[in-house]
Amino acid sequence: MDNTPNLLCTAAVMHSAIRKLAGEIFKLIASSNGDCALVGIHQQGVPLAAQIRDVLKAEYNCTPNFGTLDISMYRDDIGNRSRLPLIRETSIPFDVNDKLIIMVDDVLSTGRSIRAALDALTDYGRPRLIRLAVLVDRGEPEFPIRADFVGLNLTVPADHKIRVVFDGDGGEPGIFDVQWPK
Amino acid sequence: MQWTRKDLLSLYDLSAEEITYILDTAEEFKKVSERRVKKVPALRGKTVVNFFVEPSTRTRVSFELAEQRLSADIVNMQAQASSLLKGETLLDTVKNIEALQVDLVVMRHSAPGAQAFIARHLSCGVVNAGDGAHSHPTQALLDIFTIREKKGRIAGLNVTIVGDIIHSRVARSNIWGLLKLGANVTVAGPATMVPKEFESIGVRVCHNLKDALKDADVVNMLRIQRERQTAGFFPSTGEYAKFFGLNHDTMKYLKPDALVMHPGPINRDVELTGDIADGPNSVILEQVTNGLAIRMAVLYLVGCVKK
Repeated sequence: MDNTPNLLCTAAVMHSAIRKLAGEIFKLIASSNGDCALVGIHQQGVPLAAQIRDVLKAEYNCTPNFGTLDISMYRDDIGNRSRLPLIRETSIPFDVNDKLIIMVDDVLSTGRSIRAALDALTDYGRPRLIRLAVLVDRGEPEFPIRADFVGLNLTVPADHKIRVVFDGDGGEPGIFDVQWPK
Repeated sequence: MQWTRKDLLSLYDLSAEEITYILDTAEEFKKVSERRVKKVPALRGKTVVNFFVEPSTRTRVSFELAEQRLSADIVNMQAQASSLLKGETLLDTVKNIEALQVDLVVMRHSAPGAQAFIARHLSCGVVNAGDGAHSHPTQALLDIFTIREKKGRIAGLNVTIVGDIIHSRVARSNIWGLLKLGANVTVAGPATMVPKEFESIGVRVCHNLKDALKDADVVNMLRIQRERQTAGFFPSTGEYAKFFGLNHDTMKYLKPDALVMHPGPINRDVELTGDIADGPNSVILEQVTNGLAIRMAVLYLVGCVKK
């Protein structure tokens, strides 16, 4: 089996998609009244949300609240995994009630992670509005879930995974197509 | 690393990495109990049987609450109400429980190794909630979690455990876990209850409280069971308190910021005086809070891994 990652998008294309996402998110924030927050979904939604936050601050002088969410306790495939990855930090250091919350994930695939993230987030309170921003939309949801902000639309075979590597993750940054290890 | 075990039987079996993994997982579960909604769906649709062949209140309540916060369905069984009294073997009893499609068995038993025995025969997960004088892994994990939370590390700390070491599953489990994570462990108490043989597993043995407390970062005062007195292990609780109790005078031997721990229930003025149990160095109630987080983490890990 060939597991060599196949480059789908260079770092430059990825960075420009992140800037586009930040611009669209800023328009929503600017048009809404009240508090807002970016919440990154572990694992790769967190560095993506941090990059969006940085662009919002640098280019729009916009500083939303920032949080991170681990969805392990809410997944629907619990009990089907022979290895459990470490639960990462959930940090919601603000009151979610009545806020506009933009959830951020790197890749929208089946929609199952987003379903879990909605449950996890609403256990903290009742946001006024929840929106979803993703860097990559694979366009093959198994749940009726769509992203509100999409950086790139990419298609790969069903048994492949899209891996997003950010600066600082180690290795060449960019978006890669890898065959999913069975 | 990634978690792959279906049972938690003893810290003796676990690597330092696995112990740290449970502690790290518990940090996130501790936050669940601090939220508006103190419940997550991790064990939704799964059934946990709490099978306490030896009586327990505190540990059972802590496990039960942990299971509820993970959304599990719970069945509580006690030996007095089980068919063990009708002559059924332990293995037959647990096989019958498993035939009801349960996912986890949390068991306390007076016989060391009972949980390891049933775990070999069951496909569902098994969590040891105490087996005789052998092991009580979740108690040691919550103790170690509390130390790490307060001191920021385990490696290099001086931890003294005082009491009836020879009969204590809490002591053994703490010793295994603490040594694996790099602490220096001292055990102390009357020679009848703290034999020199413990040195062979890598701990310092003291029969003098002053020596045992000097330079300690943590002291864990184990409960003295009064029935040991009638068995002749010590002459009286008064004499035990005089020589091995933590009080205003013996506190002076400890570092000023040392943690005072006790697995409960406390015999006030025997293992330690009331003012110390309630004082600024005491983390006894935090141990109880952390026990819930540790048990949620353990149940999540062994309950969610594919069997």
